Amino acid sequence: MLGVIETTIVYTLLMGSLYLLVAVGFSLICGVLRIFHLGYAYIFVATIYLTWMFMDLLGWGLVPSIAAMAVIQAGLAVAIYKGLVSRYMKQEELIITGLLLVAIIIEQAALRWYPIQTGVYLETTVIPGMTQIGATTISNQLLFAATVGIVVTGLFVLFFLKTKTGLAVRAISYDLYSSRVMGIQVERLYIFVMILVLIPVMIATLAVAPVWAVDPTMGWGYMITAILVVVLGGLGNLKGTIIASYIIGFCHAFVSFVVAEPRFMTLSALVVVLIVLIVRPQGITKTESLW
Amino acid sequence: MELEVKRDRLVLRVRANKWEWTIEPRYWRNPLVYVGLLVALPIVVYFVYPSLLATIINANLLAAIAIPLAWMTIGTGRVNFGPQFYIGAGGYAAALLSIHYGLHPVLTLIVAALVGLAFGFITSPLALIAGGLYYTLLTLLLPLVFLEITFIYTGLFKGDVGLAGVAPLVDTGRFSLNIFLVALLSLAMMLIYMFIIDKVLRSRYAVQMAAINDDEEVANSMGVNVNKVKIISFAIPAMMIAIIGWFYAHYYGTFAGITFLPLVFMLKILLVIMIGGRAQIYGCIIGGYFIAFLEMILIRTMGDISPVLFPVILLILLLALPEGLFGVYRKRHYREYLPTLHVRR
Repeated sequence: MLGVIETTIVYTLLMGSLYLLVAVGFSLICGVLRIFHLGYAYIFVATIYLTWMFMDLLGWGLVPSIAAMAVIQAGLAVAIYKGLVSRYMKQEELIITGLLLVAIIIEQAALRWYPIQTGVYLETTVIPGMTQIGATTISNQLLFAATVGIVVTGLFVLFFLKTKTGLAVRAISYDLYSSRVMGIQVERLYIFVMILVLIPVMIATLAVAPVWAVDPTMGWGYMITAILVVVLGGLGNLKGTIIASYIIGFCHAFVSFVVAEPRFMTLSALVVVLIVLIVRPQGITKTESLW
Repeated sequence: MELEVKRDRLVLRVRANKWEWTIEPRYWRNPLVYVGLLVALPIVVYFVYPSLLATIINANLLAAIAIPLAWMTIGTGRVNFGPQFYIGAGGYAAALLSIHYGLHPVLTLIVAALVGLAFGFITSPLALIAGGLYYTLLTLLLPLVFLEITFIYTGLFKGDVGLAGVAPLVDTGRFSLNIFLVALLSLAMMLIYMFIIDKVLRSRYAVQMAAINDDEEVANSMGVNVNKVKIISFAIPAMMIAIIGWFYAHYYGTFAGITFLPLVFMLKILLVIMIGGRAQIYGCIIGGYFIAFLEMILIRTMGDISPVLFPVILLILLLALPEGLFGVYRKRHYREYLPTLHVRR
């Protein structure tokens, strides 16, 4: 029993930290842009398949391929913002449908040129091998990804709390109109946030790529986790996102190791989210601010 | 007798009598003209090009899902992103009963409708407790969780293979005649939905729905029973959508959650609403036919690139037609019923 509790705690921390990476960008978009980025799933797919495309088609090494992928992703984020989000800011249903279509286009394109049976493998392992923590054996790469998750989230929090740009972004999340009046260049910051949210997602995807399954439909699973975390934590609140990530992580670990039914992971998390929403419809934290 | 062709009408004069007939279809006021065209289409296709019947059935069913969804959207003031959850409920109920108990499609229809209604009532509090984006997020998750459940209990739901051996909807012994009759049935079902919801949206409940759509608090202060209207507008359309699940199960003879529950199918329904005419129920028919035929044409002409081209074309249309296809042929500006998803904006 002690072993099970130990494993549950270890995996709660591990999964929670990984979910932080997955959800923090989604939370930022919800908090700053105040839109529901249903196309968020495409970022995961594009990270893997654009990197692989450069390696496969042009024969580039891993690092230049990742750099080229990051540049294209940034360009894509700007194009999505300029072409869709900023133009139809008042028509959220149109933005949501449009973003979904963008995600489907990228997924289908990946499926068309790199079908599941083709197999894609990115050697992004930073720390090979396994580590024994009590009764639990964990891949070092996952531990690395979890650590990066904590560090990146910490840097995000510091950035938003301690820098002028972070302050301006928080101001936008508080009140868009007043921010404009105060001279904040809202459009530029929106684009900045669109690019900023790519960073944790790209890190998470590349970090777990050697350990977890990779295919063109992978984005939806991650996006569901991000949705659960963000709804539970309160749309757009980073503090809430951090707490909710570990709650969802605990939920998944509990179902997997204590109940021993990993198949119920998403279902159990949804039940928890629904219960919390009934008690606190705005999520765990107040959702009017980024922090 | 004199026949005069004017810019927008034909004028027939016989002695002192005069008859006018407007040429442009957008001025045709009698809906029977359109119903007649819709009925004539499968009949003509049956004799000329029978392989198109499947596309017509698909179009009718997409429209038949979108029409109740438009009601749900208008009545709850929120966009449900998981209507396929109810398709799954109705479809699995019908398929399980048909396979395991050999029930006739008429009996499975009743059960599927009741299951849809029950699921609708159970999930309807979502429209009360969750607003804006929260509602969108939660309704989006429901079918995905249902899909996961179908994979967890593969013994019951048969996972991605699906339940096979469901009794056919119509069995005349001739395949082409069966498809033809199913096409007419799907059309009848879509038209019945249209008729019912058209009546609802012209009733005094529609005014209450419009009030809720604009501002719930104001509607409440004006004496509208917001919760009652929302629950009715949620549960009954859910039942109607579940009946389409029943139709799918008996039409295909098999039912697999993987076909209907993923986001891609939901997106298709959403696009029927958006490209058709932004929650305009007549626009749903245009949207249903447009999307079904576009998909079929792309599959037949573009081969394996069609799954990429299909969403690209739809994205362009979505942005190019701000009022949907129905808006192109609309005479006056209509009241915008589709609610926006603002949470705090």
